[in-house]
Amino acid sequence: MNSKERVKKIFSNEKVDIIACFSGMGNVTVEGLKKYDYAFYEIHLDAEKMANAACTSYEFYGFECAVAPFDLGIEAEVLGAEMNFYTHKGKEDIVYPTVKKKAIENPDNISIPEGVAEKGRVPTVLKALEMMQSKVGDEVPVATYILGPYTLAGQIMDLEKLLKMSFKKPDEINTLLSTLADFLVELGNIYFDAGIDYLTVREMGAPTDVLSPRMFKNLILPHLKEVFSGIKKPNVLHICGDTNIIIELMWESGATAISVEQKNDVAKTREKLGEEAIIFGNIDPFGTIVQGSADDIRNAVKKAIEGGVDSVWPGCDIWPAVSKENMIALVKAVEEFGKRG
Amino acid sequence: MGMVDAEKRKDILERLKNGVVEFDEDMVREAAQEALDIGMDALDAIMNGLVEGMEEVGELFDKGEYFVPEVLMCADALYAGLDILKPRVKKEDIKISGQVVIGVVEGDVHDIGKNLVKMMFEVAGFEVIDLGKDVPLEKFVEESLNAKADIVALSAMMTTTMLGMPKVIEMIREKNPDAKILIGGAPVSKESAEKWGADGWAPDATNAVKEAIEMVKGLKKEVMGN
Repeated sequence: MNSKERVKKIFSNEKVDIIACFSGMGNVTVEGLKKYDYAFYEIHLDAEKMANAACTSYEFYGFECAVAPFDLGIEAEVLGAEMNFYTHKGKEDIVYPTVKKKAIENPDNISIPEGVAEKGRVPTVLKALEMMQSKVGDEVPVATYILGPYTLAGQIMDLEKLLKMSFKKPDEINTLLSTLADFLVELGNIYFDAGIDYLTVREMGAPTDVLSPRMFKNLILPHLKEVFSGIKKPNVLHICGDTNIIIELMWESGATAISVEQKNDVAKTREKLGEEAIIFGNIDPFGTIVQGSADDIRNAVKKAIEGGVDSVWPGCDIWPAVSKENMIALVKAVEEFGKRG
Repeated sequence: MGMVDAEKRKDILERLKNGVVEFDEDMVREAAQEALDIGMDALDAIMNGLVEGMEEVGELFDKGEYFVPEVLMCADALYAGLDILKPRVKKEDIKISGQVVIGVVEGDVHDIGKNLVKMMFEVAGFEVIDLGKDVPLEKFVEESLNAKADIVALSAMMTTTMLGMPKVIEMIREKNPDAKILIGGAPVSKESAEKWGADGWAPDATNAVKEAIEMVKGLKKEVMGN
């Protein structure tokens, strides 16, 4: 069973030999960049560089996927935001692209352009995905991600304004989020039509330490449901932070699988959601994978598997400065503890 | 303050406080105006009304009753009062002379926490130079030297950008060793703060506000003379 077959079975709740060690989010490493002598900013802007970099964690460590892009600005750019790619930075500097200029002042300024597949860096991502498929697509799944509606809203308008209006003018925000959900469905399905094996929806802008569970239920969840009822499968919902109090709502969203980070108590999540829920997580991508020892990684993997994850995956993008040894320790630990034979 | 009726003062302070907690900007504005009209000390109204309110907001946040949107609206209410009261604070009452340089480190554009902390510094009477967000690391050093800063406050909301903090601390220590350095943001741990040699630390926006309030309270005794 190769990684591609394994991940496919995991998404349909079929029996596998070993659970997978993969991700729906960024996992490029500095080691990967070094192979091609790329600066970090280059891999956001060029399809071939993006594709080459995206395959390196599989090629070097046996990490079981190839995921591109690496930043969170694709959708915002399509909608008119301007990005800072930090192109003045050298090869040793890892600074993720940020939104330099927001796309809209007010929620009702939103307009979705025609021909989304041709806008911004969407063609770059599509081309990269195609190259990744021909490079490693027979062996590992090729995937990408989109933002959740609320997280995207925070990228395209002033975040403070969005948060306050969510409380004071929920109707206006609801309308905006519905429009963004439609746009995200369109974009997600463009990626599926390009042949990806799964899609992750990252609603990281709505964690429970920012918004109340009540607001999550009333304002965030309805639009996640719109997204998941519109995009093809398999798909994953990822939310950061302590997600135990909203875990049932996350599962209710209609995603094929849910992804949680290290603040989630996976054993409790499994107990609440039962056997049929597909849960991915929850290794700390910095504290454990980068800063931890091989033993720390082994223990975290063991704990996640005992807690009941269906696959081991990092709680967010892996910080690229991770060592070769730690990436190998991560993959080996899943082989050690994840047997299902 | 001898001219102001104690009951009346208590009533106004209560309304200032409640107005902040209930994010009722109008209530705060009316109470602030009334405070001035009856000759109440403006600094008294700020410290024992508005700041007390923000302190309760921090507690509500910790208890999980308030979340970030609520805290932001409370901050707006505080500012509504501050706009009216601050111009009337007597210069000789402000015994704090401190220059704060504050900003969000490069690669990070999350500035809500920074803005809340900045507000508390302003309330306390500090002069704040706000470098904004996505600030190149060298700029913190330059600006802190130019301003002869007493406090440099750095914020980062992402693990990836937090890693710029130790570099800034090292550079500032070298050139401006007397400056106190405060760091804050979700990914920053107490251990990291200690390891990097920061003087103060706060994990999130409201805790940073609390931290700042603690500082303000320490200074308040001095300011209020009681």
